[in-house]
Amino acid sequence: MAIVLDDEYYRLLHELQAVDFVLVELTLYLDTHPDDTAAIAQYNQYGQLRQKIAAVYESKYGPLKSFGQSPSGVPWSWNEAPWPWQV
Amino acid sequence: MKDQVRYYKPFISPTDPCPPIRVKSYSTPPQLFIPFQPPNWPQFTPFEALKLGTLWPALYSPYQSKSNRSEEGED
Repeated sequence: MAIVLDDEYYRLLHELQAVDFVLVELTLYLDTHPDDTAAIAQYNQYGQLRQKIAAVYESKYGPLKSFGQSPSGVPWSWNEAPWPWQV
Repeated sequence: MKDQVRYYKPFISPTDPCPPIRVKSYSTPPQLFIPFQPPNWPQFTPFEALKLGTLWPALYSPYQSKSNRSEEGED
């Protein structure tokens, strides 16, 4: 079942990328600043936000990842098109 | 010193085999001048950060392509 690449799809992906990038930056920052509680709180906050966004995306458009990191619907579809570089 | 770019003039010899590049430029991003990042720095919004490539305005470096770096020193 091919999914429809509508505006909602791209909006969710854009949000997910932005939150993921913030998490990457915070991770790198926290590697060198382990005691910065404000940054750790922000990191946890964005971690939960990422879970929410991913859950919304996956409920509508299928799994983002595999190997147990994303719930799978029926049929098994994580290896179906479109791939990230195709959208 | 605009936009984190610096310029220098390489030595040009009459025996140079190729046409000379009179002025060369190199980028000097902010992290060269910041030994250790202080805590609680101002941050970009997530969408801005994704676009600009960093979460912290103080570390932002607009790496202009070499072709349009015609600043002082370019003759």
